[in-house]
Amino acid sequence: MGGFLAELLLLVFLVLCALYIVFSRKIYRVIIFFAVFSLITSVIYLFLGAPDVAMAEAGISAFTTIFFIVCLEKYYSRGKDGRNEATAPVPKVPLRVLLPAILFVSGLFALFILYAPTGYPYTGLRDQYLRMFMRDVGGENAVTAIYLGYRVYDTLFEALLLVTAVVAVLHLSWYSEAAVPDGRHSELEDSRMAKFTMRIVCPMILLFGMYLVLNGHISAGGGFLGGLAFALILICRFFVVGIFDLPIKKALKLEEIVFVFIVILPIFAIFTGVVYHFWGNSVLFQTIYLIAMNALVGLKVAFGFFVLFYRYVAVERLPEEDDTEDVKEAG
Amino acid sequence: MDFHVFDIFPILLFFVSIFGIIISTNVVKTIVLIVLMQSAVILFWLGVGSRFGVHPPIFEYFAYVADPDAIADPLPQALMLTAIIIGIAVTAISITMLNSLFRKYRTVQWLAMHDAALVDEQKNIK
Repeated sequence: MGGFLAELLLLVFLVLCALYIVFSRKIYRVIIFFAVFSLITSVIYLFLGAPDVAMAEAGISAFTTIFFIVCLEKYYSRGKDGRNEATAPVPKVPLRVLLPAILFVSGLFALFILYAPTGYPYTGLRDQYLRMFMRDVGGENAVTAIYLGYRVYDTLFEALLLVTAVVAVLHLSWYSEAAVPDGRHSELEDSRMAKFTMRIVCPMILLFGMYLVLNGHISAGGGFLGGLAFALILICRFFVVGIFDLPIKKALKLEEIVFVFIVILPIFAIFTGVVYHFWGNSVLFQTIYLIAMNALVGLKVAFGFFVLFYRYVAVERLPEEDDTEDVKEAG
Repeated sequence: MDFHVFDIFPILLFFVSIFGIIISTNVVKTIVLIVLMQSAVILFWLGVGSRFGVHPPIFEYFAYVADPDAIADPLPQALMLTAIIIGIAVTAISITMLNSLFRKYRTVQWLAMHDAALVDEQKNIK
């Protein structure tokens, strides 16, 4: 009964947060309530027995919130004719839009509730995975065993999608060499306290990221979360020291090389069965495979987020309204 | 009909987000609501047949549990982990596209952007 009340309370709060986001007319509040929403979903995932997903959601929501707030500060506060688009209130929605939207959405909701599947779709897959994963793939975490063993294709395509996203971000940006020296330097650069704190915190985050990567096959964690931790160090450094001369092109190149290794390793270990043929279900090789894959995925995620953050959020500069055309020609 | 809370609330959340996307006039808000929609889908898949307080599918918990149903299903978790990373890629690309649009039109309102695009079009015709 207590568990039921707790889940009901969290879910009701979640829906209230979503309604606040829908009806709020201030963009900063939308972003902050989005962070609150993500944190509550993360708690719910944890109670549903999914620590990996909960940690990923928490890390990703921190990253997304930073991304949004930096964009609001850096870009959207400089609108047309000096208008601040970040703090300007969102216009009210007229009733003639509101009413049909409510009717349409509530009709769809009723349809979904009527035809939604209830109960647990038993396929036997769950018991199969839980019984066999330690013999088939190794490790002690069934989730890692699934995304690096049984369903490694998913991980490959997801890695490919991240590379595609990074390339798309680079393609859409208007960065040119001249923009770098003009970039706004951090206001915390002269603060000794901020620098000292960073010097203490960053090695700890690094250690935690390495723990997540190396221990990912035994407990919750894994490559994605370790990579996120590595990327967050760089973001932390940007906010305190303000670095503008980092080799972004080299990072992209390294990410591509790591991606090639991510494709090659499962081909040897899983698809062709070479390892199984020569060494059987050797615990040693299974562990080496899992740790190597986690490390590669972590490196890839770290490089990807590094490029995403630095290229678009840190380095880039919004041109003045008058010289927009010139930059377009030069770029 | 007997419903579990995890059958209703994620669907409700999904449609609240769709409603928000329909009525939103601001692009930043639209992107946030797309992320919310994705969260609702993830919540639905993790909640299917699950309940509060199940153990994670990690070996060290197996010893405490006599009933095999008290361990969470690992398959949706692995798939949703992938979905979250894909979600951040989608968000990053959306924000980047918005930044490019902002550079051109200097606004984050859908309608103002539409009007500016119409003005540009008419200039091109002339």
